[in-house]
Order: sequence, then structure tokens, then C-alpha cells
Amino acid sequence: MSDAFSERMKNIDRIFYPKSIAVLGTNNVRGTVPSDILTNILKADFNGVVYPVNPKERHLFSIKTYKYVIDIEDPIDIAVIVYPSSVMHLALEQCGQKGIKGAIIISAGFKEVGGKGIEREEKIKEIARKYGISFIGPNCLGVINTDPEVKLDASFARKTPDEGDIAFISQSGALCTAVLDYARAKHIGFSKFVSIGNKADISEVDLLYYLKDDPKTKVILLYLEEISDGTALLQAARTVIQETGKPILAMKSGRTHAGASAAASHTGSLAGNDEICDAAFKQAGIIRCEDVEEMFNKAIAFTYQPLPKGNRVAIITNAGGPGVLTTDAAIHCGLELPKFNPETTKILKSELPPTANISNPVDVIGDARADRYNAAVSSIMKDENVDGVFVILTPQSMTEIESIAKEICHIASQHTKPIYTSFMGEADVAVGVDILLRNRIPHYILPESMADAFASTYKFTKFLEDVHKPIPEFEDVDVQKARGILDEALKQGKKYLPEEEAVKVLEAYKFPVLKSGLAESAEEAGKLADELGYPAVMKIISEDVVHKFDVGGVVLDIGTRGEAEKAYNTILDNVKKAKPDAKIKGVMVRKMIPPGEEVILGLKRDESFGTVIMFGLGGIFVEVFKDVSFRIAPLDNIAAEKLISETKAAIILGGARGRKPKDINALKETIMRLSQLAVECPQIRELDVNPLIVLDDGKGCFVADTKIML
Amino acid sequence: MDRVEIQNRIKKVISKVLNINEESIGDNANFIFDLGADSLQSVELVAAFEEEFNIEMEEDKALEVQTVADATEFISQYLK
Repeated sequence: MSDAFSERMKNIDRIFYPKSIAVLGTNNVRGTVPSDILTNILKADFNGVVYPVNPKERHLFSIKTYKYVIDIEDPIDIAVIVYPSSVMHLALEQCGQKGIKGAIIISAGFKEVGGKGIEREEKIKEIARKYGISFIGPNCLGVINTDPEVKLDASFARKTPDEGDIAFISQSGALCTAVLDYARAKHIGFSKFVSIGNKADISEVDLLYYLKDDPKTKVILLYLEEISDGTALLQAARTVIQETGKPILAMKSGRTHAGASAAASHTGSLAGNDEICDAAFKQAGIIRCEDVEEMFNKAIAFTYQPLPKGNRVAIITNAGGPGVLTTDAAIHCGLELPKFNPETTKILKSELPPTANISNPVDVIGDARADRYNAAVSSIMKDENVDGVFVILTPQSMTEIESIAKEICHIASQHTKPIYTSFMGEADVAVGVDILLRNRIPHYILPESMADAFASTYKFTKFLEDVHKPIPEFEDVDVQKARGILDEALKQGKKYLPEEEAVKVLEAYKFPVLKSGLAESAEEAGKLADELGYPAVMKIISEDVVHKFDVGGVVLDIGTRGEAEKAYNTILDNVKKAKPDAKIKGVMVRKMIPPGEEVILGLKRDESFGTVIMFGLGGIFVEVFKDVSFRIAPLDNIAAEKLISETKAAIILGGARGRKPKDINALKETIMRLSQLAVECPQIRELDVNPLIVLDDGKGCFVADTKIML
Repeated sequence: MDRVEIQNRIKKVISKVLNINEESIGDNANFIFDLGADSLQSVELVAAFEEEFNIEMEEDKALEVQTVADATEFISQYLK
């Protein structure tokens, strides 16, 4: 750990746990940000000393007030600054002179307004660097730490949240206030609450490293509008998740943002910003959420209850319809409804009425009171075939909502299996829901949300089991040869590699490529076809033709020497018609790959996340079907496996509709070779292998066509 | 009108608008950071300078005037 890193962590710790705070630019005009920042610190009962700083006032809210921060005699841990942006540099300069190492800059008027604002932000960054100050903001709501040791609310939020074990980091201050209001209604507390605003200095990456070691935080929630350093974010997330097992849930806005710009390769065209972000998050173990509700539904599942050991859930309901809905949702989310063991069945049979359904999902029948729920839930919780329990309640005239909620809380406290609930309705069930949430039993309005939250916790536990797999390294590759070809092409100013050279690069990395030859006449084509074997395939070789099929530059299934000679002339005629100015090098001839499934492999460089590897259904309709999936290189065996399994192509490769299963192992190896090529040859900007033909299991796969962009 | 006279009149205007003692206003004082003007008062100051010196300050340039020294320089140039 570098000195700079540990100094930064110390500064962030000062921001969360200050013993003294100077509030610069505060005043007593109630209902304004400068005033509310100070009053929130006072109202939260901050366990330290506050020093208001205002050039005109001698006291604010009966507290001695200083003209300048440098006038304060005592040492100051952090500054909370609400001066207008035009004088922020003066305020921060004085903080530096005072020896303050941490600051929260609330004011707006910086990068977000453009023009002078950008200059102002650069100026404060420069001052912060000069004095070694770490700061949150500018343009933010502030920072809250509910730890009773400090009780810090340096924000202008309406109310300070309750203490809890969820940390929330948000780039949007406005969303912060909405989240606080939402969470309060559901009795959800926070450990740390940070609005990072423009994140001119301290970013989500720094905070993830800090929260990794925060004993008060069990789950980290992120709301991000832009990711400035995706690689650093993923590294930080991996560190948090792998070292501590703390889940990270993230909302990243901008899903509908214009995706990939015009690109030369299929991969470039299909890998939009959001798809890459999605893939990167998945790979690092970050759970991406669509909205605030989903994020908190999952957050309470993680913090309130133990993580499940498996995906087998039991459903207990007092109504058939909701039971079926929940079953559907559970199956849809990849959960299983196991059979109970005989002991459980025996208890259910003796405790429930004959009309009850005693198999999973259990229906305790509409007139069930607390005793039936108690009998069902407590016996099923003991069943070793069950990893978690969903309790559904609909409010009927005799339903003892309050008692049932209390029974569930009591049973949950005696077990290490998770119980989730869905008391359906609103007004009548409110009293029960309140009891459940106050006792940290996750409650969901919709059974779908309940199943989704459970599935998330289960997938996360599976992810934790898989994280330490090594990245394979193939030693049979010829890095120097591949780099030599690429460097030479770059030296010649080429933007894309001619196919015969692209093939050589792949050969250097031991991709499965069939031997081929270049014919410059019909006669040569016939001779080559005879040598390489039939059936043969022939395709145009021209730097001016990228999509060969589109111009009639490919002929397949050539069976004789005569057909090969004819194909040569056909290809040349077609290309000359479609692209009269194309410079033609000749026609490539090789033996045709036996029939198999066509898939695509690709790579693309992303400014934020690094190298993206793509896999999907291949062929000429790749951009029509868009059945693709992405990961960030380097890939381990599991990442390669998931890259394949996320697509519909995986079903086809597995042997859909009576076909023979294809050689997945050969495909996986080719994907990992591509990953190694991507990491070791940064000269490649984009690459497509399309199609890669995957043969029957045990027979390998072959590159049929490739494009490499530099 | 010489610079000293301009500066004195500027300080008088500031003293009146911000309701502070004229003697406490330094030659380089920043309206917000040193004298405690809020954003509205900063605009009022510009209007008061215009009235005092019977001039019209361009909005963009006027917003860049943040200190007594800035105002003295700006108005001196204007009155030349």
C-alpha cells in the first residue's frame, strides 16, 4: 500500500470521523444551504466541536463565529465549505494554511456549469494537491455518518437517517434526498451516506476502498451517472467483494444513451457503452439494479437475513393465487421448490387442516390464524432440503396479521436460514409490515421482487465461491511474431490488417485455422484447391473489401478443380461490379470447414473499462439477432463459461432440437486464447472472428473468417 | 478623478450596501469572502457602483469584479 493511498484513506477517515469541524460560509438565514448545513450538524448532536466561519457575523446560533478559518485557535479536522464557487479557492487556500486535510465542498458552480466553472474546479484541485487536502464534492449534498461515535450530519438533507449497515454513495444529491425519504418510510438505516457530486477529488473508487474496512458497513450501494475510470472501479469492487464478501449494488444511469458509434467490426458495433458496463459489473460481482426500489429490495435481503446456502425455497401462503404467482417468479429467477423431508410432511399433515396443501408451495388456507403459520414456518425452517422460506399473507377477516408477523420474527431469530415475506395489500397489512421491517425481516409488496432478491443473494454466494480462479496463460503462443506483424502494419499506416496477415496473427496464438493459399489466377486457384482438398471455399482478398459476403466475394462448397477456376472468375467479376476501385490481391483458397454451428468472437477497446471480449451467435445476421454477451479481458475459465452460457447460442451449442452437442471446451479455449491475444497485443483496436465454426463435441472448432482493426 | 478618490467612493458604497464599517474594508477585500456579501448583495454592489459613478457596467465583466481592487481598476479604466 503506497504512502499516498494510506494518507488518502486517513483523510477520508477524518471526513467521516472528525473531532472538529469548521463550517466556512455558513450563516443564520434559515432554509438556506449555508444555514442548514450548520443546523444539521447541531441537530444530529455531533460528537465534536463546531466552528462557524462567516466574515460578518460574530456568533451564529449562539456559537462563537470566526471571520476566517485561520483565526480559529484550535486544530481543525475538516472543513465543510458553502461559500460561492467564485471564492472557493480563497476558502480552500486558508484551509490548507490551517493544516486541514479533509473537506466537504457543498457549493455548486463548478465543472457542471462549464466555462468558468471548469477553471474554478481545476483551481481548487490544484490547491488541494498543494496542501494534501482530500475533499468530497463540489456540487454535493454532503456527508452523513450515523455511527454513534461521531453522529455526523454534514449535509442539507431534511432529516438524518437512522443508524444501519448500508452505505450509500451517490453522484446525484437530489437522488440522495429521495433515497433518504424512501428509506425512512421502510425503517432502513445507513452506516455512511455520501453525495460525491462532481467527484473532483474523492471518487466512488476511493470510498469503496475506505468502506471495505468500515466495520459498520455490510452492503455498499452506488448511484453513478458517469464512470471516469472503469478499470479502477472494477479493481476496487473486486477487492471489496473478494476480501470482505460485502456486496456492492449499483444503479448506473444512461442505459438509453446512444450506444456504440459507427464501427468497422461487428464487435465494435454491438458493444455499446451500456452493454460493456453491464458485463464489467457482472464480472466484478457488482449487482446492477434498474431503480431505487430494486436496489433497496436487494440491499435489505443482504443485510437483514443470512445468505442462503442454496437456491431451494419453500413457499408458505394462505391463498392459492399468490402461491402460484410466487412459484412462477421463483422458477423464473432460477430458484427450486424442493420436496420436504418426511418429518416435515408429517408435522404439516398433523398441524394443518385436511384441505391444506402440505407440499411445496404450502397453502395453510385462507382462514389460517397465527398457529398454522407458526407450525408451517417453524417445521419447514428445520427441513434440510430447504435453503430459504417465503411467507405470503393476504389479509382476510380472521387473519392475525400482527401475531403472524411477530411469530415470523421470533422463528427467524432462532435460525440461520433466510425468511422473506410478502404481506400483500397495503392498509390492513401495514401494521404487520412495520413489525417485520423493524425486526429486519425483508418484506416485499410483490412476490416477484422477493424471488428476485433471494436469487440475487444466492447468485452472489455462488460468485464468491468462484472468484479465486486463476487466469490461464497459454505458453505455446508466439507473442513476438504476432506483435511483429501488427507493428509492421501500423508502421505502414494501415487501419486494418489484410486477412492473410490477420490469419497469421491468429496462427501465432494457435487459433484453430485451416491451411490456405492465395491464388492470383483461375489456374492457380484450381491447383491450390486440388492441393488443399475438397470441398473448398474461396474468398476475395482486398484491403478495400471488409464485408466479403456483401459484395459476392465468397464462394462455398467447391467440389472440383473446374469449379474452383470458375469460382475465381465469378468472385473477381462480383467484386469489380460492387467495388470497381477495390485493389484486389487475389483469392484465398482453403478446404471448407465441415458443417457446425457458426459463432462470433470479438474484441474491442473501451476507454473506461479496457478490453472487451464478445461472444455470440455468428454468421451474416449477427447484428440482426444481437445474441451476444461481453466480458472484460483477461478472462478466466468461469468468465469464458459464463460468456457462452449467457447467450441463446449456448442452447444451440448444447444440442437443441436433437442436434449433437458441440465442442464447448474447444470454444472456451479459443475464447481464452483471444483474451490472451487482447492483453498481449494492444495494437489491435477491434477484432472479429466470424464465423468461428464449432464442430461436434471432441472435433474442435475452426476460424472461417477474421478481421483485425488497428 | 484619481484612483484614491475612486477607491474611497467605492468603499463608501460597499459600507452602505453591506452595512459594515468603512474603516474595516481593506484595499484588496473580497466582497464575499472578506466582507460577507451574499450573491444578491454582490449584484446590488454592481448596481450601486453604476449609480455612484453614473456608468453602465457590462454584466459579464461586472461579475468578474469581486474585490475592492477589481472595482477600483475597472471603474478607473471606465472613467478614462
